[in-house]
Amino acid sequence: MRTETQLIAAAQDGSADAFAELVQFYRDKLLRFLLTRCASYADAEDALQDTMINAYRYIRSYDPRWRFSTWLYRIAIRNAGKLQRPGVVELGDLRDEESDPLLQCIKASETENLWLSARRLLNDEVYAAMWLRYVEDLSVNDISVALDRSVSWTKINLMRGRQVLDAAMNETEKTSEAYG
Amino acid sequence: MDKLANRLRHDAENIDAKVSDELDRRVRASLNGVTPLTDQQATAPPVRPAGFWWASSLTGIAAAVAVIAIVNSEQEAPVPQATPADIFAVMPRIDLKTETAMMTSPLQQELDALQSDIRKAERRVREEIGL
Repeated sequence: MRTETQLIAAAQDGSADAFAELVQFYRDKLLRFLLTRCASYADAEDALQDTMINAYRYIRSYDPRWRFSTWLYRIAIRNAGKLQRPGVVELGDLRDEESDPLLQCIKASETENLWLSARRLLNDEVYAAMWLRYVEDLSVNDISVALDRSVSWTKINLMRGRQVLDAAMNETEKTSEAYG
Repeated sequence: MDKLANRLRHDAENIDAKVSDELDRRVRASLNGVTPLTDQQATAPPVRPAGFWWASSLTGIAAAVAVIAIVNSEQEAPVPQATPADIFAVMPRIDLKTETAMMTSPLQQELDALQSDIRKAERRVREEIGL
């Protein structure tokens, strides 16, 4: 079994199979992330496919100083951004419960999934920062690179995101206790 | 790990999305049709055709000449000129009860004569009212 570094080197030499093996670990998580930024499941799949193609096309410009996931998410965020053209109404406003891909994919639970609250309460960039921090375990530096933002901006917005979601979590817990 | 971090991680795992076999096939087929770009290709700015700069310069010059020609060829709009007759027609007539001064001497002498006349008139008024 080859290591990530070996797979990257093979992909840089033009091996599509090595690249496919390299992204195997990330693709499900990337799809989950893209679901929150796209209007439909099909759009999220298209965005994932575009991300993979762009990542492979530019694999030789990958800088090993950063984690591979940081680089991959940076491309995914740019691809998802292209789907949200300026001047178009926010996707969140157009979604209804039946077509919302995130709602469709969330398993039934007693409490509301916190990522639904996050999508409602945070803007796209802060949402992405929170996802990269708490799902992907990226460092603040890596997140700032992925989002193309300064380290201080990332720190401040992670803190604000935490405060907002902490309050939302406490609120849902109180509500469920009251009804429980 | 704190409570919020645990909850966020747990809820992310509860999003049930997996790459389907069909999507996997699609992605692999797309990757086989792509060749990684070299470093130079990946970072190089887009190359313009050789005549691009000449064409854009000529277009700019032509546009500037056209604008100058249009601006200079336009005739100035005639400025309406108000005649004295028009002004007098508009202005209200004021009747001034004045007498034309008869200037027969130099101004200083005229002034002295007028002041003298005023003093005489003042003296006459005082006498008439008994002061």
